[in-house]
Amino acid sequence: MTSATLAAQLDTIPKLLARNATTFGEKPASREKEFGIWQSWNWAEVHANVEEIALGMLAIGVKAGDHIVIVGKNRPALYWSMVAAQSVGAVPVPLYQDAVAEEMAYTLDHCGAKFVIVENQEQVDKIFEIPGQTESIKKVMYLDPRGLRKYDHRNLHSFEDIRTLGKEDQSRLQSMLAERQKVQNYDTTCVMLYTSGTTGKPKGVVLSNRNIIESAKSSSEFDDLKVGDSVLAYLPMAWVGDFIFSIGQCYWAGFCVSCPESEETMQNDLREIGPSYFFAPPRFFETVLTAVMIRMEDASKTKRRMFKFFMDVAKKVGPDLLVGKPVGFMDRLKYRLGTILVYGPLKNRMGMTRVRVGYTAGEAIGPEIFEFYRSLGINLKQLYGQTEASVFITLQPDGEVRPDTVGVPGPGVEIKIDDDGEVHYRSPGVFIEYFKNPESTASTKDPDGWVATGDAGFIEDDTGHLRIIDRAKDVGKMADGSLFAPKYVENKLKFYPNILEAVVFGADTDSCTAFINIDISAVGNWAERNNIAYGSYQELAGHERVLDVISGHVKEVNQSIASDPMLSGCQVHRFLVLHKELDADDGEMTRTRKVRRRIIGEKYNDLIKALTDGSKEIFTETEVTYEDGRKGSISATLQIRDVEVVARKAKAA
Amino acid sequence: MSSDQSTQTADGRTIGGPIMEVKDISLKFGGVTAIKNISFDINEGEIRAIIGPNGAGKTSMLNVINGFYHPQEGQIVFRGEARTAMRPYVAASQGISRTFQNVALFEGMSTLDNIMAGRTLKMKKNFFWQMLRFGPAEVEEFEHRKVVEEIIDFLEIQAIRKTPVGRLPYGLQKRVELGRALAAEPSLLLLDEPMAGMNVEEKEDMSRFILDVNDQFGTTIALIEHDMGVVMDIADRVVVLDYGQKIADGLPAEVQANQDVIDAYLGVAH
Amino acid sequence: MDLLYDIFADPFVQMAGMPDFFVQVLWEGFVTGTLYALIALGFVLIFKASGVFNFAQGIMVVFAALTLVGLYQAGVPALLALVLSLGVMGTLAVSVERLVLRHLVNQPDIILFMATIGLSYFLIGFGEFIFGGETKSMITSELGLPTGSSVVDFAGGIVIFQHIDIAAVVIAGILVTSLALFFSKSRIGRALRAVADDHQAALSVGISLNQIWVIVWFAAGIVALATGIMWGARSDVSFALQIVALKALPVLILGGFTSVPGAIVGGLIIGFGEKIFEVYWGGLLGGGVEGWFAYVIALIFLLFRPQGLFGEKIIERI
Repeated sequence: MTSATLAAQLDTIPKLLARNATTFGEKPASREKEFGIWQSWNWAEVHANVEEIALGMLAIGVKAGDHIVIVGKNRPALYWSMVAAQSVGAVPVPLYQDAVAEEMAYTLDHCGAKFVIVENQEQVDKIFEIPGQTESIKKVMYLDPRGLRKYDHRNLHSFEDIRTLGKEDQSRLQSMLAERQKVQNYDTTCVMLYTSGTTGKPKGVVLSNRNIIESAKSSSEFDDLKVGDSVLAYLPMAWVGDFIFSIGQCYWAGFCVSCPESEETMQNDLREIGPSYFFAPPRFFETVLTAVMIRMEDASKTKRRMFKFFMDVAKKVGPDLLVGKPVGFMDRLKYRLGTILVYGPLKNRMGMTRVRVGYTAGEAIGPEIFEFYRSLGINLKQLYGQTEASVFITLQPDGEVRPDTVGVPGPGVEIKIDDDGEVHYRSPGVFIEYFKNPESTASTKDPDGWVATGDAGFIEDDTGHLRIIDRAKDVGKMADGSLFAPKYVENKLKFYPNILEAVVFGADTDSCTAFINIDISAVGNWAERNNIAYGSYQELAGHERVLDVISGHVKEVNQSIASDPMLSGCQVHRFLVLHKELDADDGEMTRTRKVRRRIIGEKYNDLIKALTDGSKEIFTETEVTYEDGRKGSISATLQIRDVEVVARKAKAA
Repeated sequence: MSSDQSTQTADGRTIGGPIMEVKDISLKFGGVTAIKNISFDINEGEIRAIIGPNGAGKTSMLNVINGFYHPQEGQIVFRGEARTAMRPYVAASQGISRTFQNVALFEGMSTLDNIMAGRTLKMKKNFFWQMLRFGPAEVEEFEHRKVVEEIIDFLEIQAIRKTPVGRLPYGLQKRVELGRALAAEPSLLLLDEPMAGMNVEEKEDMSRFILDVNDQFGTTIALIEHDMGVVMDIADRVVVLDYGQKIADGLPAEVQANQDVIDAYLGVAH
Repeated sequence: MDLLYDIFADPFVQMAGMPDFFVQVLWEGFVTGTLYALIALGFVLIFKASGVFNFAQGIMVVFAALTLVGLYQAGVPALLALVLSLGVMGTLAVSVERLVLRHLVNQPDIILFMATIGLSYFLIGFGEFIFGGETKSMITSELGLPTGSSVVDFAGGIVIFQHIDIAAVVIAGILVTSLALFFSKSRIGRALRAVADDHQAALSVGISLNQIWVIVWFAAGIVALATGIMWGARSDVSFALQIVALKALPVLILGGFTSVPGAIVGGLIIGFGEKIFEVYWGGLLGGGVEGWFAYVIALIFLLFRPQGLFGEKIIERI
């Protein structure tokens, strides 16, 4: 079968479903834990369910091209509803279940949804809160009837009612369904996903069947995903990643998607399901690792010692073993023993025993966190993607996994970097348009199909891997025109436990400088071990030996930065350790602990000047806000340290 | 309990005639009078609140209803049957379930086992099969487990199914205790300060569960609360006690406007 | 030097030199330990369910055995006597609940403990009054229990296994397993744990305390009867047996008062320990070590791990 005829036959998700029902009929497709028991549906059953829902949709008057909004936590019936919507020629629009009523009102109005499928009372309440919803929305359907008994049911239907309505008129609707399916093809819309844009209103990204199926196909082939693989669907249904994993790849490859019982049971369900394909944001891996470490702190001495010994072994040889590099016999033996005593039980606890392909993306993951999982033998990799690309832009192939890159361009993806360092891509996954927003579409996607990511990055010459530096708008130029990427440097500094926060300055200047906040618990611990007495945060922060330690960290960071020719200009020449912690109460950080660069720049103008004019120390006085709202001021004389930098190679043309 | 007595509420629930009448109850401990000559009734299907300042005799009243305390005077009429005093076992087997002010769970047991224990009276007392633990006993266990799982789902405590309850935070323990009381499928549910010691969010959750229990299963609920605000939102009728005496009885709005009630609360608060 | 040799070297030389004899000693220790464990189990059952330390458990063993033999001597067929003895233990459980526990609800633990001391004297008196005080021998073969022995060649020597010992171990194993299953899996087991946890809450869900008490006392009675038969078959049936029954105390201190596995492990440790110590080190101390060894071990445990091997750590919430 050539790929052309294949594409002709399998050009919509409902067609993939029909194929799966015949080819993989008995294989499990959906699972959900309910009342403490895992329920399971095979492909044939899923097919029957989707058809039933689709007939119901026709019965209540869903028209081709209608938008059907779907809100709720990951549940098989909601996934089936998306495919049912596609079957009747409508466009599924999954929304974030934690969206507040106003946000929901905006998107409902924007896409002009006439039908809404929700999980429960909470979502029904939100919809009914929207003023004027009765005119625009024809029907609201819900899965869980709890608490809804006494609601006005003129426009409200239980999911079961809809199925019954469809069954009652089956013969007529069946032919209608066939008609609707016939006009669907590779270029009709598959799904619309709203991106929660950091600024402005959310935009509706329209993705065609081609976008989704091509992306699903090439990524499934990239990692050899197939029937028998298993994933846990726990990330928001409105997120493009979930749509690709739980519908695109799932329907393409025919693997099984399991839905957790509730948000809180996710860890436990993960352990029970033991997925072979797993995605989680870096924060998830960080939280799990922290939980493991805390448990180990409480464990007995022998256990702790055993854990440390085997983790050292794993750190040394685990990553190599994972990619099949040669490892000495003794190390191999120790690792084998470690697998029985430590790694195996640990992976089992984390629910990652069977993970064959694991991905993380979205933000930078700490190298030591990344290495921890890989050293246990979990094939954790990074990818880089966007809603507009139907997820995949770059992925790390097995055997080329590193914490600092996001991989090579996925199959069929082209990448170019513009003069400002911004990453652009073109691929079969590139979105059709932003719904009802031609200006944004035009400013994001050029006529040749190239899409601007908004991220600055570069491609490594020797490996072909893409490395992301920062958001493009946050990347500036230094006086000599080379790239200035403060967040990139700050992240590298913050990977040291002793450094809590770092703020790097250097836009339009000759060299970079930095403010450092020490981490009081880490440095305090270190001070205790080294018999360094200190009376206050300020005293510890200004201590000669603390500065030595931090200086060492900065030097190491400089060496690492210098190895990237594009960024070697960002090496930190001089730094100081701040006498107070940057604080949201003082307006220096956002409540989500993001540094407010501009405000800090204004507030500590004297310090920045001292960093650039070569002084050895500076006296400063700073206003602070105490927890009870009172204001006071603290003053200190701060030392400024020069740090060795690596000579810059000639700037690449 | 006759149908001519039943009324429809605005939100579509049916409230019947009295399922329980407390008549002229007095309770003394030694020389101290805890409850003095109190009468009120609880209608089938309603949420009835008993409120009052600390030391008003609310918990004593609940203990009388559930049979822990035996009053010196008065009568309790439950489902048409008059008694001078309940025994806890009789109360439980007649369909009165309760929770406790300070949470009285079986701490060493899991959430699941705690709620299963709540079904004790629903289980057939076939000692012989219980000994062997197969045949009918096994089937029975399975069916009870189904009911318990529905309660777990209802209270959204799936994540703590297997956790020993002693390890749970207080708010969740209260929820498990409610689950255990529900497991008996009670016709009268007594809640002793279900929201005590909870934060605002937990209080909201608990209020929702209480309303849902009443709405979905039609369970009659009598609850004691210290916090007036919560009660006014969820109760159909309110009895106010102060120093062991009844000072008001009526709809939340009426009670709230009652001068004696205002005085009693102000008197305690300041 | 000689003394040091006798303590630290000679016993091990003997063990290695005569492995067949060593195995024999281990076996004896194992069987004794199993029976200790059974007696301790009776204590644990009652203690867990009601918080009562049943001083009379040891006497119940003797009383059960005495009843069985007494009935047989009175002309009742052996198996019927066994059933009747079970009935007597059931009646005892009901009577204890009706006449003692019910009236002492909510009294301090020490009062209940005193009541069980009273119970034990009552049982001694009552037993002697009905069946007489003279020593009797157990009706082992009449009950269908094996009496022979098997000789096994081992490491150039022989080891002798009394069939009654094998039967004792097997029966004890079955009894312990079924009790453990019953109390961990069944509704009554759950109710029992509930009562142990919180009396008032148990009452509120409709668990009948009286019923639970009868059940645990009856279970303890069954265990006592089984223990009585096995001990009686190994020695004789007389009130002297209660001294042996008191060995349950150190076993409990070792294993923890609330733990069934603790009772088993504790029993085995004491059983093995005192046999080995008696045989290999006893000579140095003039013999009779078996009488006090268990108590010394218990004392050491009280000093270093008062909650026992498996006991719950007592954490009071603040």
